[in-house]
Amino acid sequence: MLDNMTQQQRMVLALVLSFIFFIAYDFFLKPQPQAIIDQNKSVQTSQVVQHNNKAAPAPAMSTAAPVEQKQQTTVAPTIVSSNSQIITTVNAKDFRLSIDALGRISSYEVMNEKFKSEDGSYPNLVSPLFALKPLEVRFKDVTLNGEAFQKAYTTDSVEVTLDGGPQTVILKQALSTTEVTKKITFYENGTYDIDLSLTTPQDYFVSPGARPDIEADMYTFKGALIQKADGTIETIEDGDAEGNEVFMGASILSANDKYYTTALYDFEDRFNIFVSKDHEDRALGFIKGTQNISIHGYMGAKEYDKLNTIDERLTNIIEYGFFTFLAKPVFLFLKYIYSILGNWGWSIVAITLIIRFVLYPLTYKGMVSMNKLKELAPKIKEIQKQYKGEPQKMNAKMMELYKKHNANPMGGCLPMLMQIPVFFAIYRVLLNSIELKHAEWILWYDDLSVMDPYYVLPILMGASMFWQQKITPTNFTDPMQEKIMKFLPVIFTFFFMTFPAGLTLYWFVNNLFSVAQQYYVNAIFDKARAAKEQAAS
Amino acid sequence: MLKQVALSFLNFYQKFLTVLGFGSCRFYPTCSEYAKWQVEKNNFFKAIWFTALRILRCNQLFDGGIDYPVIKMKRNLCKIALCNENKNSFIVKFWLVPKNRDYYYVIKSFQKD
Repeated sequence: MLDNMTQQQRMVLALVLSFIFFIAYDFFLKPQPQAIIDQNKSVQTSQVVQHNNKAAPAPAMSTAAPVEQKQQTTVAPTIVSSNSQIITTVNAKDFRLSIDALGRISSYEVMNEKFKSEDGSYPNLVSPLFALKPLEVRFKDVTLNGEAFQKAYTTDSVEVTLDGGPQTVILKQALSTTEVTKKITFYENGTYDIDLSLTTPQDYFVSPGARPDIEADMYTFKGALIQKADGTIETIEDGDAEGNEVFMGASILSANDKYYTTALYDFEDRFNIFVSKDHEDRALGFIKGTQNISIHGYMGAKEYDKLNTIDERLTNIIEYGFFTFLAKPVFLFLKYIYSILGNWGWSIVAITLIIRFVLYPLTYKGMVSMNKLKELAPKIKEIQKQYKGEPQKMNAKMMELYKKHNANPMGGCLPMLMQIPVFFAIYRVLLNSIELKHAEWILWYDDLSVMDPYYVLPILMGASMFWQQKITPTNFTDPMQEKIMKFLPVIFTFFFMTFPAGLTLYWFVNNLFSVAQQYYVNAIFDKARAAKEQAAS
Repeated sequence: MLKQVALSFLNFYQKFLTVLGFGSCRFYPTCSEYAKWQVEKNNFFKAIWFTALRILRCNQLFDGGIDYPVIKMKRNLCKIALCNENKNSFIVKFWLVPKNRDYYYVIKSFQKD
């Protein structure tokens, strides 16, 4: 069937197929967390309660035992019903947290107006859907572990308010063979220090908790992020955890969703991380201890400035995927421009302008030789006519001609390929940076990190692309390619519809600038030519 | 194996993705075509290396123009072309034009694929 189709028909078919793919992808594969939570709310919570009542297993320490781990979960003695009871609350300007009877942080609300959800509630970093809570301690010894999940902690302060200086809470749990003391010092910036000590040594594990579950989508990373002994970053995406990963001498153990993190870190005294997994292969990270550990922790938004003031190395928690090495400088640069302009939308416009400006000498050179070629136009036409249907031969002849007249109109593959990583870097920055959440621009653009609800920017982008193509001379040797190219603005318009508005803005402005530049260079040349003619006559 | 994967990727790129660059290469043969010839006639890793260099050269700071792949080979031309199964009617795909001792330009013959 394919053989009988004309090229146009094939192209239309390809287009239709790719649209179907994208629509189907959006429809079936995109997670719809809100809907799921609403439907299963009652079911989920009851499950969670059950889950909490079970003594959760410690991660496998030796590689020999990981399989047995699951069965251990069944050790579920009847538990003090008060284990989910709040024993301590901590209030600060920027957050409000509570600690339950098992000595774990059972809720952590970030009190920032900017991060409020649509229903007006503050984001809670401790998801009720995940069993593992921050600062949860699990023992390697199964009986002791069972006991630890039954016995309530005692606290020295029921309510703590932070205003002007850190505050310490001491939690104690008396077990048959040992006594656990958690001394936690809370700071106003969202960090805390935890000193864990046991009266008699026992192998145990402490966790920064399961990842926050406030915003998670297909496109950004969610899961555990570890800074290893050699300073490199290891990520374990949800669903990819093996459950037996071990990292010796690590300095960061964090669990992240798109914008928020819960992390334990220590850059001086390193720690050893053991990773276990839940029933959906999400990584659950633990730090191992035998008697005393003191580490630092942070819970909150992955805001660059905030993390940077705590410790510069903590900014490694913000991850932009494969292009991090490029996305991070792009973000810092964008942030710098924002500090001057005070608006993210205009900052994106400015960054586009700056990139254009830096590349101007290159593009100018290209445009100069392009104008030279205008005089060669009849010769080019001749070659195109002569070698119609023989693209390779035509290309070779064309190059010969350019060489002879010392002009080459093409931009080159390198500038073209360089666009791709820059584009992805900006894409990731827009998606990942909490600073750009609710980034406003003009008119109805009150959040550049999500798609344009009225499709205005994508359409403008397509139009500008079409315009740019119109005024950029090209020499296509393959008619099929030429047709695809003519369709490109249409394809891109559809493609960009679901992209963050900020990215579409970047591409649109980029197109506009190249059009403007083209007209500018043309004008200069016309003027020069006119002057020359006048001088001649 | 690697060669086949690379070639099919390059073919796919030429068919569908080059339009994104609006046919922007400054050279003959184009960078992708150059890569194909390299992959076909050179050691795979050398091919990758030379292609990378070529792409780095493909910008407005360089003149562009005609730039054929060059390969190094011992004088054993029989292996390359003549010892085809039917000696009388083989098709010439590549011409190897001597550059200097043991080095050859790779030039693909013009024909419709």
